[in-house]
Amino acid sequence: MSTLNIAVVVGSIRKDSYNRQFAEALARQFPAGVTATFIRIDDLPLYCQDDDANPPAPAVARLRQEIKAADGVLFVTPEYNRSMPGVLKNAIDHASRPWGQSVWAGKPAGVVGVSVGAAGTAMAQQHLRNVLSYLAMPQLGQPEMFIQWKDGLVEGGRIGAASQAFVQKFVDAFVGWVRRQAG
Amino acid sequence: MKPLRIAVVVGSIRQDSYSRRFAQALARLAPDDVKFDFIRIDDLPHYNQDHDGHDAPETQRLKRAIEAADGVLFVTPEYSRSIPGVLKNALDLGARPYGQSRWAGKPAAAVGVSPGAMAGSMAVQHLRNVLAAMDMRTLAGPEMYIHWQDGLVDAEGRVGEGSRAFAQRFMDTFIDWVRRFA
Repeated sequence: MSTLNIAVVVGSIRKDSYNRQFAEALARQFPAGVTATFIRIDDLPLYCQDDDANPPAPAVARLRQEIKAADGVLFVTPEYNRSMPGVLKNAIDHASRPWGQSVWAGKPAGVVGVSVGAAGTAMAQQHLRNVLSYLAMPQLGQPEMFIQWKDGLVEGGRIGAASQAFVQKFVDAFVGWVRRQAG
Repeated sequence: MKPLRIAVVVGSIRQDSYSRRFAQALARLAPDDVKFDFIRIDDLPHYNQDHDGHDAPETQRLKRAIEAADGVLFVTPEYSRSIPGVLKNALDLGARPYGQSRWAGKPAAAVGVSPGAMAGSMAVQHLRNVLAAMDMRTLAGPEMYIHWQDGLVDAEGRVGEGSRAFAQRFMDTFIDWVRRFA
C-alpha cells in the first residue's frame, strides 16, 4: 500500500494544549506507512481578503503547501464559546483562498476534539463540520470523538491503556476513509 | 434620554468591506444621542490561553471598548459558511480569562452581509450560538440577512431608498432593545 500523509490541525495554540497532547498520542497509533504532519497555525496573520491580490506571506504559503501535500486532514479542536477557536477558523480561511484555489477541496477529513467538559467539544465540531462540508471535504462520520480530558487519557505521550482500543477504532476508520478517497 | 454608546464589530478587515459599509450606513439611521464606536480587530494577537492575565495592549484596548459600550452591533460576512476567524478571535479574546468576559450581559444584534443570495445567514446562525454562549442578550428580530447589491448603500454612504424603511425599522428596534438594558 502507498504511504499516506495526514495533516493534523490542532485548534489550540497554548503550550500544554490537551488537544495537542491527545493528537500527538493518537498519531502514534497510526499504522506503518501513515505519517502525521502537524500544521502550525499560531504564526499566521489574520486573514484579510486584500492580501489575496499579493504573493502570500511565508507562513500562509507554508500552510497552503502543507495542506496541498496531504492525503487527508485530521482536525483536533477545543471548544471556545460553543464554537471552534478563531485561530483555527483563521487558518481554514487562509487555506480556502484565494477564491477558487482552496487547497482543502476534495481532501478527506476527520474531526475530533478534547475538552475538560462532558460535552467534549460537540458544538465546536458541529460548526466545524458545517465549514468542512462547504469546503468539499468528505468527512468521516463515525466513530464520533467527543473526548473528555481526564488524568490517564494520555500517559508518557501515549494514549492510556484504558482508551487505546477506542482510539485505535477511530484511527483505523479514519485511515481507511482516507485510503478510500485516495482511490 | 441617556446618550447610548454602541460598539460596532465588523467581521471583515478588508478595506472596501461590504459589511463595514453597511454598518456605517446603519449607524447613520440612529438618533444623534447614539454614538457608534467601530472596534478595531485586525491587529489583535491570536487568543492563547497561556496569555490570560497578561493582555497585549491591543487586547486591553478591545476590552476597554467593549466595557464602554451599552450594546454591541455585529455585522459580519460569511467565510466558508461561518464567521471569519478574525471575528471569532476578537470574540475569544473578549471572553477570557474565564469568569471575566467583557461581552457577558450586554445587549447585541447580529447582521449578515454577503454578495451571495444566502446573505450571510449561516454566519449569523453560528454567531448567534457564540453570542448565546457568551451570555449576550441578542435581539431576535428583525432578522438581518443582507444581500449586498448595487444601491444598497448609496454614493453618500446612506442606506439606499429601496431599503431604508427596512433598515430604519431594524435600527429603531435595536436601539430600543439596548435602552432596556442601559
